[in-house]
Amino acid sequence: MAEKVEIPVQKWSGRVREVTFGATKDEGGSRSRTVTVGGEATLPFLHFEGEIPHPPRVAIEIQDKKPEEWSPLLIKVWEEVIDDPAAWAKRAEERGADLILLRLSLDDAQGEENTPEKAKSAVRKVLSATSLPLLVFGPGQVDKDNELLVAVAEEAAGERVVLGVCEEKNYRTIVAAALAHGHLVDSRTPMDVNLAKQLIILIHDMGLPLDRILMDPSTGALGYGIEYGYSVMERLRLAALQGDTMTQQPILVTPGEEAWRAKEAKVGEGVPEAWGDWEERAIMWETMTSTALIEAGADVVVMRHPESVRLVKEAIDKLWMKEG
Amino acid sequence: MEIVGECIHIISPKVKNAIANREKGYIQELALRQAKAGAHALELNVGPQKKAGPEVMGWMVDTVQEVVDLPLSLDTTNVAAMEAGLKRAKKRAIVNSASAAPERLETMPPLAAKYNAKLIALCMGKNILPTAEERINVALEVLMPRIMEVGLSMEDIYFDPLILTVSGMQEYALQAVETVRFLKQVSDPPPRTIVGLSNVSNGVPHEGRSLINCTYLVMLMAAGLDAAIADPLDKRLWEFIRMVEERDDSTPVGRLLLRLYDAVASMGELSPDDVDMSDPEQVAIYKTVQILENKVIYADSYLRV
Repeated sequence: MAEKVEIPVQKWSGRVREVTFGATKDEGGSRSRTVTVGGEATLPFLHFEGEIPHPPRVAIEIQDKKPEEWSPLLIKVWEEVIDDPAAWAKRAEERGADLILLRLSLDDAQGEENTPEKAKSAVRKVLSATSLPLLVFGPGQVDKDNELLVAVAEEAAGERVVLGVCEEKNYRTIVAAALAHGHLVDSRTPMDVNLAKQLIILIHDMGLPLDRILMDPSTGALGYGIEYGYSVMERLRLAALQGDTMTQQPILVTPGEEAWRAKEAKVGEGVPEAWGDWEERAIMWETMTSTALIEAGADVVVMRHPESVRLVKEAIDKLWMKEG
Repeated sequence: MEIVGECIHIISPKVKNAIANREKGYIQELALRQAKAGAHALELNVGPQKKAGPEVMGWMVDTVQEVVDLPLSLDTTNVAAMEAGLKRAKKRAIVNSASAAPERLETMPPLAAKYNAKLIALCMGKNILPTAEERINVALEVLMPRIMEVGLSMEDIYFDPLILTVSGMQEYALQAVETVRFLKQVSDPPPRTIVGLSNVSNGVPHEGRSLINCTYLVMLMAAGLDAAIADPLDKRLWEFIRMVEERDDSTPVGRLLLRLYDAVASMGELSPDDVDMSDPEQVAIYKTVQILENKVIYADSYLRV
C-alpha cells in the first residue's frame, strides 16, 4: 500500500520585489510590451510552496560592432547580422530573446573611439528594430561607461532601459542618469553576499527606487567557479525570503559571457579529442551554466548562442509547469 | 570581565615601525594609556619575528615593564621569542597561544608549564573549525589532554573559541557563543574562556567596529565569557560591561542590554518587542544583534537599512 507523504511547506516572511523592464507607448516608451520579473515568495520552481508570478527570462547579448574576440562559433551563428546591431537585435528577437542586451564597445568597427553620438545612434537603431525591452551595458571602462551611458540614458528617456554596470567604484554617474531619465540599473558585485547587499543600499541611498534595481552578484562558468556564484545567489535569495529587505532584488547574471570565456566553449583546437564535438560541447557549456544559475534563483540570464537559448527556454518551460 | 589591552599589535603600522626601530616611546605611551583606561593585562603581539624573535620579544617585555606593572600576554608563533619573553616577565604571563595544530600543541603548553604562565588554548587545528561542536571536540579531545599532560592546572587555562568577522564569516558568530557556553559546563570548576573580540569586526569600516564589538561582548558574557583581548580605549566597551555586570537598568540602553544578556543566557533571542524602535540607539543595537545572529546579511551600511 502506498504511504501518503506530506510534503513539508516552508512559510517565508519575505518576497522578492517585482521589476519591470521597458515601457509601452502609454507608459512613455515605445515597447510593444513590458517584461516583469521577480515577485517570488519561495525558492525557484517550488510552486507548491509559494507564489512565483513570473518565469525567469532570457536576454540575448548583442554588440554595437562585430565582437572579434568572441568564439568563432558565435561569430558564425550570427554571421549575417553581426555587423549591424539593428539586424542583430531583430534576429535575436526571432530566436527567442525575451530581452535584448546591447553591449557598447570601446572602439567602433573602424577602430575609432566610441562616442556618445555613436552610442546614441546604436541604441536608437536597436530600439527601432525590436520592440523588446532593452538593457545597455558599457564597455567596462569607468570613464567610457559613464560618458556613453549618460548619453544613452538621454537618448532612450522613458524606455525603462537597464543601464549597466554599476560597481562599487563606479555607480554614481550611472544611477544619476537612470534617475534623470526613468531607467533601471544593474548592480554588480564580485561574488560576495555582503558586497551585493551594500551596493544595493548605496544605490538606493541616491534615491533610485528599489523596483528599478537589479542585483547582479556575478558568476563563474561551469568548471570555473560556478559553485561560488551559485552559493552566493542561493544565500541572497534565502535572505530575501527571510525578510532581509536590501537583498530582495531580482537577480540578473551573465552566464553567456562566462561560459564562452571557458576554454571548453571558446576553442575547438588543441583540446583532447575525447571532449567530442566542439559546437555541441560549447552550446551545452552555456546551457548548463545558465540552467544551474536559474535553479539558484536567477531571474534574468544573459546569453549568447541561439541554440543554448532555445535549450534553456525549453528547460524553463518544463520547470515552470505547475502540478494539477 | 577581564580585559587584555590589544593595542600593542604588529598589525598597527606605528607599532610595527616602533618595533623595527626599537623606539620605546610609542610602545610605552600605548602601554600607559591602556593601563590608565583600566586594562587588566596587556597583549604584546610582535608577530612571528623570524629573524630576531627572542631579542624583539625581550626588548618589548622590558620596554613595557619599565612603565606599567600589569601581567603580559605574549603573542607570537616563534617559540624562542615566546621563551625569551617568559624569562623576563615579572608577573605571571599568558602564553598566546596553543592550538591543536601539531607544532603549537607540541611546543607552547610545556613552555607555559616551565615558566608558570597561563595559557590560551585556541579551539582550532591547522584550519578553522566551523561549528561549535567541532571546536568543543578539539578542546576536550586534543587540547585538554595535552594541558593535563604537561602539568598545567585548569585554572591556568583560557579556552579561546576563535572569533571570526561578521564581514564575510557571519555564520560563525553564534558558533563561538555556543562554544563558550559549552566550555563553561564541561568541568567543575569550569575552564576560563577568552576571545580576541575585535576579530568580529575585521574588515568593518572603523566607525562601525565599536558597536559590533561591544554588542557581541554582551552576548559572549551571557554565555559565560571570562576575558577578552579588546580595545580598552573604547569607552563604550567599559560602559556596556558595567551596565551588564551591575545590572544597571536605569537607562533604556542598559535595559536593552540586560534583555539581550538574559535572552542569550537562557538560550533565547532578543525579540523586537524588547526594543523601542523610536530610539535610534536601541535600534542600532538591535540591528547589530540581527547581524551577529546571522538573521540579516551584513553590509557595511547595515545600520542605514
